[in-house]
Amino acid sequence: MSENAVVVCTFEPGREGLPEGAEEILHIGRGLATALSAPLHWLILGPLPDRASATAGHYGVSSLQQMEDPKLLPSNADACVAALSGYCSDQAPQAVLLHQTLDARIVAPRVAGRLNKAVVMNGISIEPNGENLQLTASAYGGDTRVIYEVGPGPILSFIANAAVPDPSEGDPVSVENISCDLSEITERIEIIEQARFDGPRLDDAEIIVSGGRGLGSVDNYPLIEQLAEAMGGLAGASRPLVDEGWVDSSHQVGLTGRITRPNLYVAIGISGASQHMAGCSAAKTLVAINRDEDAAIFQYARYGLVGDALELIPELIRAVRDR
Amino acid sequence: MRIVVCVKEVMDPDAVNNYAVAGRLEIGEDGKTLTQTAIPRLMNGYDEQAIEAALRLRDEGADFTLAVISAGSDPEKMLKHAAALGAQELVAIQVDPESLDQQAFARLLAAQIETMGGADLVLCGRQASDDDQGVVPALIGEQLNMPVITVARAVALLDNQVRVTRVTSDGDQVVAAACPAVVTISNELGDPRYPSAAAKVKARRIKPTVVQPSDLGLSPEDIAPRVMLTRQFVPEVQGNCEFIQGEVAQMADSLIERLKADSIL
Repeated sequence: MSENAVVVCTFEPGREGLPEGAEEILHIGRGLATALSAPLHWLILGPLPDRASATAGHYGVSSLQQMEDPKLLPSNADACVAALSGYCSDQAPQAVLLHQTLDARIVAPRVAGRLNKAVVMNGISIEPNGENLQLTASAYGGDTRVIYEVGPGPILSFIANAAVPDPSEGDPVSVENISCDLSEITERIEIIEQARFDGPRLDDAEIIVSGGRGLGSVDNYPLIEQLAEAMGGLAGASRPLVDEGWVDSSHQVGLTGRITRPNLYVAIGISGASQHMAGCSAAKTLVAINRDEDAAIFQYARYGLVGDALELIPELIRAVRDR
Repeated sequence: MRIVVCVKEVMDPDAVNNYAVAGRLEIGEDGKTLTQTAIPRLMNGYDEQAIEAALRLRDEGADFTLAVISAGSDPEKMLKHAAALGAQELVAIQVDPESLDQQAFARLLAAQIETMGGADLVLCGRQASDDDQGVVPALIGEQLNMPVITVARAVALLDNQVRVTRVTSDGDQVVAAACPAVVTISNELGDPRYPSAAAKVKARRIKPTVVQPSDLGLSPEDIAPRVMLTRQFVPEVQGNCEFIQGEVAQMADSLIERLKADSIL
């Protein structure tokens, strides 16, 4: 049944002309489709992102498909589930791959539940294994990797944060409209108050300076903010600081917080628990500052400074400003 | 009114992390099971917070029966903890967790909820701290045809509506749905309470109702897995850290110099 496609599904408009994680998930989809000698389809639920056609060409998408309906917004889970389930029933894809967003985390399992298909989250890589697919996923907050064997037509969600190699050249792909009838769908969840965050987001930051429990006291967190500002970056935090109410959760980096991929990540007073590393291990350069030279964070770091954060941070601010 | 909380037993994630960080996490001969007997088993922390969310609703005057249910090999100790916290109905679905996938767990839990007469609200942790999958609540929602609201930091009941404050990357979002609904609880909810000593003693005598999949009308085929865990391993970390030495000011200067030289700053 090799004519059945590997389908990448996105349903977020994204901010820079592409849905968040689109290139990463298309790269994974391309790899799987090639291994299966299957076509790669890209299904877009809702409005077409600006760069969709060109990007589809770059990643060897053979069919760019769009389901359009005013109801198809990422937050409209009932509409998205109905649309994607209907699509899967008609087209019987070999696998549906999604980039793991908060909304995908609801839509993927609900579609799988409706269709009685396999579903796996936190995917990192995938390959065929005989008749089945074999997916490597993160578990225990990143402490371990698990390999799952899944049956036909699974719905799979990936934490696709590895760097994508430059895509090959390819001609833009034209858009094929797939009809869907959502007239019967009424969303059961009503948004009373929309999340409003107008500041810069950690997800997009090029430089992040994060503080952890090693700072000792909430009174020392402003040092992190000052260093972040001096470096032209944003301030982040590990989960204990959020749980203890030192900073609000929009600053939390980690598995249950923001998954970031900055050029530079400076971790100060952070031990390097996997739950945190899941949110920053994609950083191009990681600098660790910790008083304990055996702290796990140094295993991930490019540069390490062993010492007292409260003494080091003011010196770092001075050194940045000096240069 | 009934609120059902679904709970799972996991290996203490902090202990797992400590062994992993020390490079001493052991995987058994089957290539997939963590074998350290020193790692305690306990209730998934997010599930404990789901019970806490229910108890807070009770604190605010909501009148309901609290049911805590679990599917596993030996959930009795965990369910007694739930009883000490104030759960009135306890159900242990007797299964070998290794032989099931998430769909099967969701089917069992959904069937149990239906069998006990339904629920007005189903509360679950946002994910289990062992596999981090977090798909069972959404699958239960599909089974029972309930809307699914995830990552709650606060849950309130107003008339027949559940109102949830969700933690998103753009800040808090407030949503509402008519009951029945499934809501998953995130760590931002805050610390769960401890049961009193007296409640603990009393809970010792309470026996959970034990049910088999067949009692729920589910055959072995109904809960045959579509996802099989075949291997587990500890990922390797590169470990090429260059330690910068010297006095405090020197260290700061050298680091910034290197970052400039690497064109990172």
